[in-house]
Amino acid sequence: MSTTASRGRRRRRAPAAIAVAAVLAGALYGFAPIDAGASSHREAPLTAADPAVDNTDLYAFVSKDRPGYVNFVANWIPFEEPNGGPNFYPFATDASYYVNVDNNGDARPDARFRWTFRTQDRRGTDTFLYNNGPVTSLDDENLLVRQTYTLESSFNGAPFKTRISGAPVAPSRTGPASMPDYGKLRGQAVVQLPGGWKIFAGQADDPFFLDLRVFDLLYGGDLSETGQDTLAGYNVNTIVLQVPFKDVALGADAARNPVIGVWTTTDRPRVRITGGDSYGGQVQVSRLGNPLVNEVVVPNGLKDAFNASSPDRDAKNPTLVRRVTEPEVPKLIQAIYGIPAPATPRNDLAEIFLTGITTKAGGPIKADLNSQLNNADVSASGFVPSEQLRLNLGVPVAGQPDRLGVLGGDLQGFPNGRRLTDDVVDIELQALVGAAQTGKLVDALAAGDKVDANDQAFGAAFPYVALPNGVGVNTAGSGSAAGSAPSTSEKPSAEAPAPSLTPAGYAGNADSGQVPMAVAVSAVGTAGVLALALLFLIGWWRRRSRPAPITPGSTDQTLQL
Amino acid sequence: MRRHRMVRATIVIVVVAAAILSIGAAFGRQSGPPRQVAERAASGPAASADPIVRAQERLRLVPRDWRTWAGLAVAYLERGRTTADPGYYPKAHEAVRRSLALRPDGNADALVARGALANARHDFAAARRDALAAIRLNAYGADAYAVLADAETQLGRPTEATAAVQRLLDLRPGLSAYARGSYDLEQRGALAAATGLMRRALDAAMSPADIAFCRGQLGDLEWLAGDLSGAAEQYAAGLGADPRAVSLLRGRARVAAASGLLDAAIANYADVTRRSPTVGYLLEYARVLRAAGRTGGAAGQLALANDAQRLFVANGGVDGLTAAELAIEAGRPSDAVTAARAEWARRRHADVADTLGWALHLAGRDAEALRYARLAGARGALSATYAYHLGMIELSLGQRRAARANLDRALGRNPAFSPIDAPIARKALAGLGGAR
Repeated sequence: MSTTASRGRRRRRAPAAIAVAAVLAGALYGFAPIDAGASSHREAPLTAADPAVDNTDLYAFVSKDRPGYVNFVANWIPFEEPNGGPNFYPFATDASYYVNVDNNGDARPDARFRWTFRTQDRRGTDTFLYNNGPVTSLDDENLLVRQTYTLESSFNGAPFKTRISGAPVAPSRTGPASMPDYGKLRGQAVVQLPGGWKIFAGQADDPFFLDLRVFDLLYGGDLSETGQDTLAGYNVNTIVLQVPFKDVALGADAARNPVIGVWTTTDRPRVRITGGDSYGGQVQVSRLGNPLVNEVVVPNGLKDAFNASSPDRDAKNPTLVRRVTEPEVPKLIQAIYGIPAPATPRNDLAEIFLTGITTKAGGPIKADLNSQLNNADVSASGFVPSEQLRLNLGVPVAGQPDRLGVLGGDLQGFPNGRRLTDDVVDIELQALVGAAQTGKLVDALAAGDKVDANDQAFGAAFPYVALPNGVGVNTAGSGSAAGSAPSTSEKPSAEAPAPSLTPAGYAGNADSGQVPMAVAVSAVGTAGVLALALLFLIGWWRRRSRPAPITPGSTDQTLQL
Repeated sequence: MRRHRMVRATIVIVVVAAAILSIGAAFGRQSGPPRQVAERAASGPAASADPIVRAQERLRLVPRDWRTWAGLAVAYLERGRTTADPGYYPKAHEAVRRSLALRPDGNADALVARGALANARHDFAAARRDALAAIRLNAYGADAYAVLADAETQLGRPTEATAAVQRLLDLRPGLSAYARGSYDLEQRGALAAATGLMRRALDAAMSPADIAFCRGQLGDLEWLAGDLSGAAEQYAAGLGADPRAVSLLRGRARVAAASGLLDAAIANYADVTRRSPTVGYLLEYARVLRAAGRTGGAAGQLALANDAQRLFVANGGVDGLTAAELAIEAGRPSDAVTAARAEWARRRHADVADTLGWALHLAGRDAEALRYARLAGARGALSATYAYHLGMIELSLGQRRAARANLDRALGRNPAFSPIDAPIARKALAGLGGAR
């Protein structure tokens, strides 16, 4: 059919074409088609999520096994399936991962730690497997894809200095046959640096725990169907850094200046396609301080702007500030549970998220806990409110951590930094309905999302995160956190070779001892801390008598931002 | 012929039925007991990393989560893209609808998803509107700029397209931005830079589907440069990551055809079109069959291609470009001109200019054809096909020197750019006193 039609048309061709056609082969030319695929336009991936660079969680805490040192745990790539082989989960090699510390409250980083990763792919073309037989050490021939990283640091704006390069990443756990003793591999990835630093990067059980159904609150639902850890069984890529207080404290003096603020960022190189392609500069693609800020605090249309922004701009962002001081969740809770939403502006929330808990910023919480304003050497005039995870290094390590942290009377927990065991979902829910300013937990929300602990026990020693989930892992949560039996991963630092690199400028002070806790606490006002402790000591869930509600600070006390 | 009709009738029924049934399947599952999911998540190794399944599970837990409904729509579109199965479009449409029903205002996520769906259905003007509306709500939303970049590109507004891609790169460098930047550079003829950026995309790719996509694009860039073995290597590497990636199987088939391995090419195309009976692939298959002298088989595939186009349209697609190609293939050049003109009125992409020019040429209207064939290559795209078409049109107009230059250019770019056209170009060039 088509042949006939095309022949008919060919007779109408211009003479020049006929002349040429004579040299052409047969009838093919007449209906010569468009080349392949011209119709299907180019369709590239549209990825709302970029898990290799989207930081999911940040923790900052002091552990009792090593006083005088602070730990930072930062996670990327959630929802990693255990034994996902041949899939594995590399850190991005085109990104820079940062932990930033602000110790003088100007919302700019004073200490920066930068990780960059490289991949060695020895697979060649004959296999696409991650490993080629059992892997018994990080340099095992059978481990075909390996990552290493460089850690650099910069203090007070000085250029970055390399602390170590070629440090090994603990691999994705691909299964018991491939990795019969994963704890050993984990141990080999723990590196001790001069200056007392310890570092780890690799896969771990995702320490975050929640029932995702708690988010139904955000959409007008209630909490009747909660209680299952939605993240149980999943792994995550984690970076853990342990440094002495003096390396991050203002003036290297954690006794006078015990408060730090922390946030992570991820950068990728900037690419220009106008005027050819070229590179230069960095683009910040992710930012994270306090947990759940992107879900609960930052409004929908602001999330992307927030991830691209720096803390020193927060106070100039009226939408962000309003979202903190006029939160939506309490209104939703009022509609569902009849719990009156506290009057706004919510300066108590501004303290928790933007200034740290302090009496020096005019906020309603009558305590001094974790604002840089309470550092002895910080001048109030230079202080800029910003969203950071703030930690008072001087608060003594709790013997029995309370999952509700400060709201549970345990001042060492969130929002004073964040420990792996802190139940930030329940804490933030309570804070949003006013518990931090009334000193009274809200009964109807006492159970929160009903997930109180991670499914895997955390370790008592560096790097603290649980081993990645593997085959046969029974993920039914054990519930207990501190003091639970450490896995084989807990003795590795001894067998890990300590690289010979000396962190310039800090070697002389290595392990110089811990900060006297009493002094540190008094630096932020012992009376204030004690008052705060009293405020939150007694919780409804313990069925004890409740303290008289503290009168919230006058609600017209607008935060000066 | 009767057998082909039966086959095609069966395929259409099956595919349409699958599309219809899957809507019920996807959304019927919402009503299942949430407890079951939670227990599964809590009692054993975690559930799927499949973004569709994950979004569905989250929606069972948080059914009013309008953002995840929009995310589910995008996940469906991604699956539709990687499997080349338009049956996912109605599902995406339904998920967008649910998102907008829950949150009619201020829902940038749903606008982005709806815009992406419009792009997939070739309604680029609607995609552009949705993307711009989403950007008004969220000026930092990278995905909205990705949708805008795709729409502006296909609408033939290169300045606006490049600006959108640059904004996307400035907001969120990553796979999605690099891939679009690479295509933008490729259309301007900057093949080396395009390849560099696509390698960067490959470095950023994590999922097997994304790795396969980047390998496929790198292979296509090698192909554009005429390096068949380089292209084959990329396709093989991509198939290692995702053995079912249809675009890579097609790339492999095209290399086989270009290498003169017609039997292998025919077997490969049979596989490709069995997995993904879409118009473009069926047309290529028909062409290879014709090059091998199997005109009956070619006609059968052409008939299937017509059905696939009907299916695409039934799923809400608008595609005058494909309609024009089908008409050209069927020897109905005036129909092709009509369809291509209609598409040109909608959008001024180089591919449309090229097809309209070629349709006009086949309809004997070479003077008009010349204008469009020149437009196709005006931005510098290094397409052998564009150059071939322009050369043949110039030849028809008696512009022998220009024709010789363009045919030489086509064969210089890729001596095997088409199993049918390349030999014709070679003979025409020889007739003009040139040689390749």
